[in-house]
Amino acid sequence: MTATISHARLRVLFAFFTIASVLLSARLAYWQTVGRGELLSRATDQVRSDLAVAARRGVIRDRTGAILATTVDLRSLYAIPSQMKDAEGNDNRPAVAAALAPILGEKVDVLRAAFDSGAEWLFVRRRLPEETAARIAALGLHGLGFEMEPKRLYPNGAVGAQILGFVNDDGLGQYGVEGRYDDVLAGTPGRLAVARDPANRELALGLRTAVPAKNGEDLWLTVDLAVQNAAEREIAAVVEREKATGGAIVVLDPHDGAVLAMASSPTYDPARVANANAEALRNRAISWTYEPGSTLKAVTIAAGLDKGVVTPSTSYQDVGYAVIGGRTLCNAQCKVYGPTTVTQVLARSQNAGAVFVASKLGASDLNAYLHAFGFGVRTGVDLAAETGGIVRPLAEWYPVDLGTVSFGQGLSVTPLQLASAYSAIANGGTLYRPYVVANRRDADGEHRTAPVAVRRVISEETAATMVSMLTTTVDNGIANAAAIRGYSVAGKTGTAQIPSDDGRYVDDAYISSFAGFVPAVDPRFVVVVVLEKPQSKLLGTVPAMNTFKAIATDALRYARVQPDRP
Amino acid sequence: MRNASWEIRSFLLASGVIVAGFLLVLLYLAQATAVSAAGYEAQRLVAQRDELRRQNALLVIESARLDSPARVETEAQRLGLVRAATIRVVAPEAVAAAR
Repeated sequence: MTATISHARLRVLFAFFTIASVLLSARLAYWQTVGRGELLSRATDQVRSDLAVAARRGVIRDRTGAILATTVDLRSLYAIPSQMKDAEGNDNRPAVAAALAPILGEKVDVLRAAFDSGAEWLFVRRRLPEETAARIAALGLHGLGFEMEPKRLYPNGAVGAQILGFVNDDGLGQYGVEGRYDDVLAGTPGRLAVARDPANRELALGLRTAVPAKNGEDLWLTVDLAVQNAAEREIAAVVEREKATGGAIVVLDPHDGAVLAMASSPTYDPARVANANAEALRNRAISWTYEPGSTLKAVTIAAGLDKGVVTPSTSYQDVGYAVIGGRTLCNAQCKVYGPTTVTQVLARSQNAGAVFVASKLGASDLNAYLHAFGFGVRTGVDLAAETGGIVRPLAEWYPVDLGTVSFGQGLSVTPLQLASAYSAIANGGTLYRPYVVANRRDADGEHRTAPVAVRRVISEETAATMVSMLTTTVDNGIANAAAIRGYSVAGKTGTAQIPSDDGRYVDDAYISSFAGFVPAVDPRFVVVVVLEKPQSKLLGTVPAMNTFKAIATDALRYARVQPDRP
Repeated sequence: MRNASWEIRSFLLASGVIVAGFLLVLLYLAQATAVSAAGYEAQRLVAQRDELRRQNALLVIESARLDSPARVETEAQRLGLVRAATIRVVAPEAVAAAR
């Protein structure tokens, strides 16, 4: 039997398919045009991954290029306790805890408790050392995994910690350069939106929208790691020897105010910030003030010379004390020196002589010179947490203040301010703003920091005279312990009392310091050493001078500075 | 006869269109698969590059740690080395005179 289909039926069938095709095409056209966005949105929502791309934090280097701080991704160990199964599918948490404990140096019970806490996912240990992570990975345990997390590393340990600062767990820079330049170092995170497959791999044909991260800038510091190391070594040694409660060292290049080294004790290891106390975090070179004592006599005398009220040979009759504002101010141990020149005032560190110069100068001019030398205001150094010290306004001065301030009492300074002031004397009379970042480097190139000459403080002639007088102070005066064979040294000692909370001075406790530069002619290094409550008490300037000498000797050798004396 | 020939031609044409469309789809799928595979390979290489860069960064840090003056000093002390008391500086004139 032959089956036949009438043309009419075929036409009906054809018409049916035609209509069906038209309807399907129309529907398809709708989804491809009007409904495309909705469909695409639904599809991409299932596979789209929108992530922030972290910017690389900039590297910090010393002036020679040595790495001081850098960031690297380290592996953080996480656990998914429900997936801790052995080959037979039995719970393997006790075995995992037992295997991890000796590698992590953790108690088994602690790990067991963490795995049994009910958490679906938890970090076991973050930012593991590479060897530890490799040992754990080699175990091949189920239920453990690694995730990369950035870690700030300081290859020189605690050296330079006070200058560098640190990065906290949230990735924010704190203190020092890390704090001051956090926005520059951190960079700008980018975004990456991609389509991923179920195995979390990016789909080459899928959606991909990327805003690249802008990496942080690299910073090259003025700090010299070799000089910094010498300063850290010496401050630690002298503080320990002298059982001092603290200390600070600043080394500046007097030609432009570049900070070559800055050390503070107590200090901390930036890799173990959590263990550091608040006192250790404070950079005493910039965040701590003290009465400078006799180191300030150089400023008083420089002011007197510059104003023309005295000359190095101007003399007065020293009777062991000076009376000013109805108060008697004595030399150290009220020693009487008789006829004394201004040069000898500095060389012997006579308080009465400083009062003599200040009296010639007057309170207004002394106050003006103190401000000109940069005391009483922040130096503007590019480090976080700098303090400005205190120089009271002239209107608040009592008559006796002219005398006490002349030898460094009744005002407070930071070690950096003092180093900056001595730099002005050393370089011929110009006060420079100290700075730590020599240049910044990013994708656009290098951006150098131009040294900032704040102002001329004293004339070149006055500065030269002061250099000569300070050299005499070291060669033949009270600061002879600071002399370095083969080199001319200029400097001044300082012993200051410590004000107590009740406005009096603490009994039998002092701050000993030395400020100087070397070589005296065309100086390369200005070094300020300050010790808080050394056990040598009134003789505390001797360890301060020895510390200066050790650092200066190292720095001169390292910089290959030729001797300027036989 | 004319109708039958028209139907055969239509059938052949439709079949041809379908086969051609099928081949085009196959071509597209082959291309897409190849691109996807290349994408996965590129990702693997990127991950490998990133890991090598990370390992390199760790080595650079280790190198910096070994170069640290503090570590060198400690190591020198451990080896019994002592700091030179003086460094003799010879003036060029003296060298010239000795020749």
